[in-house]
Amino acid sequence: MPKFYLLVLFLFFCCPGAAGSEKVILDGITFKNVNPDPDPSPTGDFKTLVIPIKRAGNLIVIEAQIDTLEGNFVLDTGAPYLVLNETYFRDLPHAAEQESAGINGAAGSSFTTYVRNLNILDLHYSKLRADVTDLSSIENGRGIKILGLLGTRLLADFAVTVDLFRNTLYIQKLDENGNIPEAEKVFHDRFMVSPFKMLNDVILMKGTVNDNSLWFAFDSAAETSLLDYRRSKKLIPDMEVISRSKIMGIGGTSIEVIYTRFDNLVVGDRKYMKNRIMITSLEKMGSAYGYKIDGVLGYDFFVRGIFTINFVKKEFEMYIYNNQ
Amino acid sequence: MKRGAYIVIVFFAMICMALPVSAQKRSNLIMGSDKLVLLIDMRSSKTEVDTLLKKAGLKGANAAAILKGDFSALQKDGWTMAKKRGNIVEFDSPLENLNKNPQIKPYLITTKIDNDDEGSPGYPTDVNFGINNFAKVTVHELPSGLTRFFLPGYLQNRRALLSGNFNNWSTLKGVMAKTDSGWIADVKLKPGKYEYKFIVDGHWINDRYNNLVADHDDNSIYFRYNYTFKLNGNANAHKIILTGSFNNWDANSIIMEKSGGVWQKQMYLHDGTQAYRFLVDGKWITDPANSNKIQGDDGIINSILNLGETVIFKLDGYTDAKKVYVGGSFNNWERGLIPLTKTKTGWALSLIIPPGNYGYKFVVDDKWITDPANPRSMVEGGIVNSFISVKPNYTFKLSGFNNAKSVHLAGSFNNFDKFGYSMAFNGSEWTVSVRLKPGKQLYKFIVDDKWIIDPGNKLYEPNQYNSGNSVLWIE
Repeated sequence: MPKFYLLVLFLFFCCPGAAGSEKVILDGITFKNVNPDPDPSPTGDFKTLVIPIKRAGNLIVIEAQIDTLEGNFVLDTGAPYLVLNETYFRDLPHAAEQESAGINGAAGSSFTTYVRNLNILDLHYSKLRADVTDLSSIENGRGIKILGLLGTRLLADFAVTVDLFRNTLYIQKLDENGNIPEAEKVFHDRFMVSPFKMLNDVILMKGTVNDNSLWFAFDSAAETSLLDYRRSKKLIPDMEVISRSKIMGIGGTSIEVIYTRFDNLVVGDRKYMKNRIMITSLEKMGSAYGYKIDGVLGYDFFVRGIFTINFVKKEFEMYIYNNQ
Repeated sequence: MKRGAYIVIVFFAMICMALPVSAQKRSNLIMGSDKLVLLIDMRSSKTEVDTLLKKAGLKGANAAAILKGDFSALQKDGWTMAKKRGNIVEFDSPLENLNKNPQIKPYLITTKIDNDDEGSPGYPTDVNFGINNFAKVTVHELPSGLTRFFLPGYLQNRRALLSGNFNNWSTLKGVMAKTDSGWIADVKLKPGKYEYKFIVDGHWINDRYNNLVADHDDNSIYFRYNYTFKLNGNANAHKIILTGSFNNWDANSIIMEKSGGVWQKQMYLHDGTQAYRFLVDGKWITDPANSNKIQGDDGIINSILNLGETVIFKLDGYTDAKKVYVGGSFNNWERGLIPLTKTKTGWALSLIIPPGNYGYKFVVDDKWITDPANPRSMVEGGIVNSFISVKPNYTFKLSGFNNAKSVHLAGSFNNFDKFGYSMAFNGSEWTVSVRLKPGKQLYKFIVDDKWIIDPGNKLYEPNQYNSGNSVLWIE
C-alpha cells in the first residue's frame, strides 16, 4: 500500500483515540470514562506465571479470585478492562453508569464500579475499575459459571502466551527493552510475527485477504473469526459455505449465521489457508470496539498455534506447536 | 475459468454420468454477491442431499421429497428457485438480513453456536456400568468413605492440585498434600463416573498409571463403585464370567475374581433394573443367592437386580376396590402397571426407583386417580399427575403468599412449562423438592398465574421478556 494511504489510515485511527476527554461518542454510542485514571499497577513476585486454562467451548477460561469470590473468568482481548457478570455483582457500588446503546434495545444496565482486589494466582491487582454487565449469554451458551471477562488493560505490562495444546497460559514480566528475558522464554521457533496497535484498549492487527488490506480486531473471546459482510462481498467471490444456521438473539430475534471457508489470509509474514470465518455485519461491533473494523480474528485463527501477545512491544507472535 | 480447469470439470462431469452413485455431484452451497446460492444435483443420493440441507440450515426439509421435485420446504424457508440447468437446480436466498445483525460483541453470537463436540467435554455422561483399570492403583477408597487420589513423585515441584468434574475442574481448589512419595488429596464422591487430571505448578498432567483415558483431552477416568457381584461355591471352577443387560450380555469382558473363597466383582452400576447371569466354565447359571428371577420372552431365566431408592406408595381407603395399581413415568406408564397390596386401611407398595422426577397415578378398578395424599402435581402430555421426586437434591421455597390459591415452579428443568411442578403450602412457605442435574438452572414461581422471580434468591439474569429469571447452580 502506498505510504500516503498508510498515513491517512494512521490519522484516521489516531484521531478518535487521541481524545482525552471523559466522554467520547462513536457511532451513536457514548463511552463515558474512556480514559479514566489509570488503574494502579499490578504486583506479583514472579517472572513467569503459569496458569492452567480451562476450556468452555472455544473460550479460554482461567480461575481468579475477586475480593472473596473465586471463579471463572474469560480471557477477552476484545474487552478493554475487567468486566463483571451482573448476576453476581449487581450489588457493587455504582461509580458511573454506562450509557451503552443497549444490546439490541434490551435494557442495558451496565455500570462502572471498583473492586478492591483481583488475584490471578500470584498476580495481584487492587482498586481496579470494572464494568458490570449482563454476561448470561456466555453462561447459557457454554454451561459454565462466568464471573467476568479479563480485558487487555489488565495485561498491559506483560507478555501473555496461550498454549491451547496443553491448556496453559503464561503471564510474563518483560525486561527494560520490552522483551521476555531469554532465560524465561518457553517457546523458541517463531512461526509468525505481526505488529499490532492498541486503540481503545483493543488489539488491531493488519491482514490481507486476496491482496486487500483489512483491519482485524484480535479477540480471544470470539469463538469463531468474523468478517464483515459488506467487505466480504468485494473480497472473495463465490465463497464456499460450510454451514448456515439461525441463532436466537436477545429479544427473540432470529439471526442468520453463515460460516464460510476461504484461502489466502495473510497476517504478519504468514499465509493462512482454509480459514473458517463467519460472515456478519460488524457495524455495531466496530462501535463497541470504538473503531470500524473489517473483521475479528478469533478462535479459528489463534487455535492454529501457540501465540504470544507482547503488550509492551505491541507484537503478536505465533509458534509451531512443539511436541517436546 | 482456465481452459485446463474446464477440461477437468467436463471430464469429471462425464465420470459423473458414468458412475452416478459414487461420483462427486455438483451440489454445493456458495456465497454469491447479495445471495446464498444452493445448487442441488437431482442425481444425488438422499444422503448427499441430506448433507447439503444440513449445511444450508434446513432442518425440517425432506431430502426424498426434494429429489422427487417437491421444493416446498425450501420455499417455506425463503429460498426461491432461480434456474434449472440440466440436472442442477439453483435456489437463491437473499443475504441482506446479515446487514441487520444487531450484536455488538462477538461472544453474543459465537457462544450461541453449537460446537462440534458432543455434550460437555470433561463432564462424562452417565454410563450403565464401569470398572477401573489401573497399571498401578493411584485412586482408592478410604474407610472414611472418602476417595484418595495419589500422584507419585513430583517432589521437586511447589504445588499440585487435583482437578476434575467433581470440583468443576477447579484450578484453585483441590490442593494436594505433599508426602514422602508424592501428593495426595481426599475427595468425597458419590457412586458414578468421573474425569480428572492433576495440575503440577500450573501444568495439566493426566494420571499415567490409569489405563482408562477419556476421548477428550486425555482425561483420566475413575469409577466410584457401588455394587459387588458375589458368587459362593464353585471352588473348582476355572473361569467365571459375569454378563448382564448392563454390558449387552458381552460374555468376554467381566471376569469374576476369587477372593476369600468367594467369586466376586466390584463395579459402578447405574441405578435401575438389570438382568444378569454367570457363565461358569462355559455353563450358564443364574445367581443362586438372588431369588428375584424373571423368564424372558426367549425362555431364558435371568437374575434381576433393582438398584435405586425405595419408595412406598400408599393409598388410604378404597378397601372395597378389587384391584389397585400404580403407574408412572418411572415405569413407562401402562407398559408396567404395578399392583398394590391390600392392607388394613387401604393399599400399599414398596418399589425401587432410580433417582429422578416422575409423574404417577393410581388405577383403582380401571379408574385413574391422582394420589389424594400428595398435594404436588405436574402435567405430562396435557394430563395432571401426582408429582414425586426420588432422591431430590434441591428444595425450592417461597415464603409468604399465604393467600395465594396456587403456586407453581417453572424452570429450565421442565421447559418453563406453565403448570410446571405445583408447590404445597406448609403454613409458612410454599415448597417443592426436585432432583436437578448439575449445572445452571433458571426458574420462576407462578403465583396465581403471575410469574415472579424468587424473592429469596439474589441471583437473577435478564430474559427475553425483560422480567428476569432466577439463577441456581447445582453442584
